[in-house]
Amino acid sequence: MLTRAVLFHRLILRPLRREPVRTSLTAIAVALGIAAVLAIELAGEAAAGSFRSSMETLIGNVDFEVTATGGIPPEALARLAALPYAFKIHPRMEDYASIRATGRTVPLVGVDLVSESLGATTSDAAAFEHDDSVWAGSGLGYKMGDRVELLINDVSSEYTVRGVLGDRSGEAMVMDLAQATRVLHRSGRLDRILIEVPVGRSTEEWESLLRQALPEGVCVAPEGTRSDENRRMLAAFRWNLRVLSYISLAVGAFLIYNTISVSVVRRRFEIGILRALGATRGAVMAAFLGEAASFGLAGAAVGIVLGRLLAVGAVRLVAATVQSLYVSSRPAPILLTWDAAALAVVVGVGVSVVSALSPAWEASLVAPVEAMARGRREHEARVHRWRDLCVAVALAGGAWIASRQEPVSGKPMFGYFAAVLLLGASALAIPALVSGLSSASAGILRRLLGVEALLATRSLAGSLRRTSVLVGALSTAIAMLAAVGIMVGSFRQTVIVWMGDRLQADLFLRPAVPPGADRYPTMSAAIPDRLSRLPEVAAVDQFRAYEISYQGMPAILGGGEARIAGRYGNRPLVSGASPQSVFRQLVGTDTVIVSEPFANKHRVRAGDVLTLPLAGQRAAFRVIDVYYDYSNERGFIIMDRGTLLKYLPDPEPSNVAVYLKAGVPPDQGRRAVEAALSGHGVLVASNRSLREEAMRIFDRTFAITYALEAVAVFVAVMGVGGALLALVIDRRHEFALLRFLGGAGSQLRRMILFEAGLLGLLANVAGLILGFFLSLLLIYVINKQSFGWTIQFHWPVAVLVSALSVVYIATLLAGLYPARVATQLVPIDVIHEE
Amino acid sequence: MSILRLEHVSKDYITEGIPVAALRDVSLEAGRGEFVVVAGRSGCGKSTLLNLAGAMDFPTSGTVMLDGVATSSLGERGLTRLRREKVGFVFQSFQLLPTLSVVENVELPLMLAGRGDAREAALERLGWVEMDSYAARMPYQLSGGQMQRVAIARALVHSPALLLADEPTGNLDNATSDLILALLRRIANEKDTTILMATHNLEAAGAADTVIHLRDGCVQELHQPVKRKSAC
Repeated sequence: MLTRAVLFHRLILRPLRREPVRTSLTAIAVALGIAAVLAIELAGEAAAGSFRSSMETLIGNVDFEVTATGGIPPEALARLAALPYAFKIHPRMEDYASIRATGRTVPLVGVDLVSESLGATTSDAAAFEHDDSVWAGSGLGYKMGDRVELLINDVSSEYTVRGVLGDRSGEAMVMDLAQATRVLHRSGRLDRILIEVPVGRSTEEWESLLRQALPEGVCVAPEGTRSDENRRMLAAFRWNLRVLSYISLAVGAFLIYNTISVSVVRRRFEIGILRALGATRGAVMAAFLGEAASFGLAGAAVGIVLGRLLAVGAVRLVAATVQSLYVSSRPAPILLTWDAAALAVVVGVGVSVVSALSPAWEASLVAPVEAMARGRREHEARVHRWRDLCVAVALAGGAWIASRQEPVSGKPMFGYFAAVLLLGASALAIPALVSGLSSASAGILRRLLGVEALLATRSLAGSLRRTSVLVGALSTAIAMLAAVGIMVGSFRQTVIVWMGDRLQADLFLRPAVPPGADRYPTMSAAIPDRLSRLPEVAAVDQFRAYEISYQGMPAILGGGEARIAGRYGNRPLVSGASPQSVFRQLVGTDTVIVSEPFANKHRVRAGDVLTLPLAGQRAAFRVIDVYYDYSNERGFIIMDRGTLLKYLPDPEPSNVAVYLKAGVPPDQGRRAVEAALSGHGVLVASNRSLREEAMRIFDRTFAITYALEAVAVFVAVMGVGGALLALVIDRRHEFALLRFLGGAGSQLRRMILFEAGLLGLLANVAGLILGFFLSLLLIYVINKQSFGWTIQFHWPVAVLVSALSVVYIATLLAGLYPARVATQLVPIDVIHEE
Repeated sequence: MSILRLEHVSKDYITEGIPVAALRDVSLEAGRGEFVVVAGRSGCGKSTLLNLAGAMDFPTSGTVMLDGVATSSLGERGLTRLRREKVGFVFQSFQLLPTLSVVENVELPLMLAGRGDAREAALERLGWVEMDSYAARMPYQLSGGQMQRVAIARALVHSPALLLADEPTGNLDNATSDLILALLRRIANEKDTTILMATHNLEAAGAADTVIHLRDGCVQELHQPVKRKSAC
């Protein structure tokens, strides 16, 4: 064993040490790939790991939670209290408040302070009887007696901190239940009831018992169900992010493959000698797999540290997206666990070893006599290119078939498989592309750019396999960049067009409390009436949203003025029907329209009937159409406001859209509206500013995507630099010879840079073609099956041109160091080596 | 007029901090069309002498005059130009670029010099070495002797005044070696090209006008008309 280790050190590790730059570049490429994977894993955990927010942890361990859309009717609490069991019942009001001084949004929880001890330090027992009392969570940093101004819905008031809560309270702001009911205008309905049950029965038995006791339309579920729902909702987002993070590692895998291939090609003589001296094929293969594993281990060691550092930035971006699109949660601390570190090592070493299997197998097949046949490998690679092209066509066909398949458990598994097949097809088609383009361009390049271009072209075509691997690595990164660029660009353009149709109102109003994907603060019911009386205003559309759970997934139930939306709005419908006629049908009937993400997520179509638990009953609603929507991934169920009020008679709107009369200047209309709103904490956004804000959120959402793409491209460009360096070292005889034949140093430099440029060009061409097809997969299969959005294809020309130019320039720059090495070779020494 | 003249040339290399004399006070002169063989054991300084003669390296002391130009007086650019115009190289291991065809290998020096008549000249030189029918082949399709003939054609493509051949028959069998030596002899005679050939094979020296025996960096012995000025 020791002897083998010594031999491994002498024959494999020592040569790696002789080329520190190239070895480091490969190891760093792997490290960056691992770091990207680890950072996304840690950031995803942190961003999603805080669902058990202070809302839930305030009480401690409870067994069940009772909820109802629009609030739990008071009789539910009475029925629970009447049950002959030793339940501990915690009625709750829940919302959010914005601290005026800091702009920070914190959970606002109303609890029965008389019966519940929250471990608070408090000034006096009767403090909760005051109208301005709040108790601050320990994480907020307040002390007893502090004054704090809170914006709750559209009302801003000053409160006194009567006490500081115990350790579990986090950042919650707590008030007495009665006071919270008043402040939040809940008219006696509770938001949640938490129940602790005694031991002696199973969870299922208690759940069944509680369900029987509660009125129709009130839901009971084991504690943590909401967190589970949120996790399920986030699963697709995290899954796609995770897949994106693996791109860098895939690019790194290409580079490991290239490094080990180079190692094998270079050492054919050595391998031949070792085989002649008695080395088995297995030993040769193990040696090269060991080399790959060494890169994987080194990469993992650096990648774990780097990944932990990158996670800090990543968690910010991921959390922002989670907040915007999914659920209100504050990121939990980043925890680098042993499991996560082990994952990094397993992934790093695993990917490296798998990437090296083919060249290591090839090395094991080297016979002593074969080692003497120089140039044979490259010749074989050239001979097989047509066969590879045929396999590529077959793989592309397989990708097309896979892309037509349905999702598996809500995940676009076949979509990913199609993407892998496309990557394989591209890798196999690249030798033919390189060969074809090289032969086609050699003459032209020679005439236009001289002998250096000819030599560069021939060199790339001559080392077909190595060139193909490099082009494959770089083009994979470029393809993903292009594909995601096209997808995001298409998505962006689709949203812009959609907003043009959808946002027809002149002004949009919402409570000043910062909104969240699962927060629907309300404003005074008097506001719409007041606005509709303004002479500048033609119509006011008020919209109320409730968070509901549908088939175990969070969704949004909304009610709007169907008559006004039908007359003034232009909500694009999937069926292509006229919005006016569809909205007319909504008025006065138990019918709904649903957003496209909701329809796709729950497989709902026009004509289906949805049964929703609403205010003490289970009501059935017929779906009359599906509309395009890009504002929320949870999905909407929309009914007429009149219908919603019939079931949930809370008149306070969450949002209000104002249509100005024709000829009224927007500024004048806005001033009139703002004047009418004095005394309310309501924000007024113009049509334009709302669109700008939406696009700002959109761009922020995809920032993490671009960051991951950048890492992948960086890895690929570094790989090209390392590979060009290897190329220079391997071809030092050629460069020395050129000097003997009258070649100047500057000509060598140009030649290397031409090679780098040609590699970049080939990779850009291959990457753009592959990226186009991958973007079709992303847009029409993966996105559709993961999130349910219909995206119209659009070429983001400016983004693509600038991104590809940056990659191209980076590739050229990657050739500078190898070019310098080439010009500094001493020809006499190199020729003398022989 | 002499094409190559070395005057009291010495060359030292520093190996691990210790100076090692590769050549010591060597002087020689070779005229146009002369076939000079530098013979000696491995490590006697043959290759160093050829490198200095081919303007690939500078002497530590003394002067190397190539067609009347002192190589020490030139910078990197001047040396490159001098090599392009005056010197052709032939190597023991042929050194053909595997990615270029036969004719492309031959025209390479002209292309590096930016000359436009490369293809015509290359085909003509291939005719000289009787390899014109192989112009489109790749190097791996040739035998060793054929590769060396192509390498000679390449060394002659820009009509150099001096052809430097470092062990050109070292990798060839006897029969093929004889053919290559005869070819070099013919080139010296017919094309008036000065040939300086390094070899450790005394039989190969039989084709030469002049034979210089090197030993430990010094000219030990000289046969026939090349004028030796001094020896250590």
